Amino acid sequence: MKVTTEKLAKNKVQLTIEIAEEKFEESLQRAYRIVIKKINIPGFRKGKAPRKILEQMYGREILLEEALQDAVPKAYQEAVEEAKAEYTVVSNPEYEMVQTDKGQPFIFKASFEIKPEVQLGQYKELEIDKLPTEIKEEDIDAEINKMQQRYAKLTVVEEVEAIEGDTVTIDFVGKIDDEAFEGGTGEDYPLELGSHTFIPGFEEQLVGVKSGEIKEVSVTFPAEYQAENLAGQEAIFTVTVREIKRKELAPLDDEFAKDVSEFATLQELREDIANKLKEAAEKKAEYELRTAAVQKAAENAEVEIPAVMIENRVNQMINDFAYRLAQQGISFEKYLASTNTQIEDLEKYYQKDAETLVKADLVLEEIAKAEGIKATEEDVAKEIKKVAEHYKQEPEKLREVLEKEGRISSLEFGIMLDKAVDFIIEQAKVK
Amino acid sequence: MRNPHEVLLKPLVTEKATDLLESNKYIFKVDRNANKIEIKHAIESIFKVDVTDVKTMNVRGKYKRQGRFAGYAPDWKKAIVTIKSGQRLPIFEE
Repeated sequence: MKVTTEKLAKNKVQLTIEIAEEKFEESLQRAYRIVIKKINIPGFRKGKAPRKILEQMYGREILLEEALQDAVPKAYQEAVEEAKAEYTVVSNPEYEMVQTDKGQPFIFKASFEIKPEVQLGQYKELEIDKLPTEIKEEDIDAEINKMQQRYAKLTVVEEVEAIEGDTVTIDFVGKIDDEAFEGGTGEDYPLELGSHTFIPGFEEQLVGVKSGEIKEVSVTFPAEYQAENLAGQEAIFTVTVREIKRKELAPLDDEFAKDVSEFATLQELREDIANKLKEAAEKKAEYELRTAAVQKAAENAEVEIPAVMIENRVNQMINDFAYRLAQQGISFEKYLASTNTQIEDLEKYYQKDAETLVKADLVLEEIAKAEGIKATEEDVAKEIKKVAEHYKQEPEKLREVLEKEGRISSLEFGIMLDKAVDFIIEQAKVK
Repeated sequence: MRNPHEVLLKPLVTEKATDLLESNKYIFKVDRNANKIEIKHAIESIFKVDVTDVKTMNVRGKYKRQGRFAGYAPDWKKAIVTIKSGQRLPIFEE
């Protein structure tokens, strides 16, 4: 096998592969074995006709087609495998047959895109801001307040005017131009004022009503209302207030803490909230820090990303998305139909993200290479253990599965990238 | 003598015929009225080879049916011709 490499463009390579005639003859012979089984030739049982007779009747082309399917990808794989050190293929090859005639060596061309070269910029001593992780007293207060709201008791109040936050039970009849419309009436409907469940203006006008009162509320439907026949229309609702319930917040004391949590005192509850908030903030800060680190390093580097890589990434993202939908029991087609989106829209939507991610990966890989960062056996074992715990599996079993599916290398790759991020952060000036 | 092309109708290309090539034998469909002598002369004059042996047999036509029409395919004569070893007919050559 003779291979000539030719660089078509920056990230495009064309191989001209020449296979000796005798070698190609083997492929033809294999092809004959396959083809002959499918073809009926009078005078012969299926699969028994000699090759000569087959070629006389159908021509050499019938064998060629089959032989190429076998020989071309094989030769291509071999050629690429040999050149592994020089480049990594990222796209499917495009083949072009050059010489298939009998008695001549077989020649074909394969062109494909390769992983681009990365010009690393500065990636050490980057200046990265870290989000503050201190928890302020106000944050805890807000959290407690939310709990208070959630556990508030509703009590019926009489002879008072409704204020925002109250829940009023109402009957209502809505009319447009003196005519009732669909969905415009309701009975015994509990509505929390200020919850913005109804169209804007409705709840506000009910502030100040008393129980038993009948009030006319006139509102205009927003121009972008989901029911098109109502959008932009003016409507008058006749509202009968049946009952007003007011939220009664429990006093903040140890009693409250006992009711809403497993803690005995308010102090303990506050501490717990503080810890949780802190943890969340740290997680977020860590995540942001890593993202920022990668982004900075990627910004400083220069890569000319082949379009296929981005396309592949976009497709992968869409597949992931479809998978997530499927887990929620929504089929992808249905989702597209109901949100009125085309798959092209999604592609466009993911395009930018995909580009950033691909670039980030390429840059990280290059950094790992430059710094000699590799995933060690320990790292792999640790990662497998972590994943196994997550899925409640035995690590050894999981490892077996991964090995069988050949996913260990991609796991290693992921760890390597992660370690590259660690490296950037280690070297960075974190503020 | 009869025209040799009227004697030899066509070579038979079948599995069996292919196997017989090994022993230098060729199978032909021949005219029903031809005899071994005529077949020998026909082969020798067309292919310029030496015939060492000719065996013939009559093949009865098969019962055929096409829809509601039934009948027999024509009877025919088959000849197995042996050529002097070392010589060949160019039938299966390219």
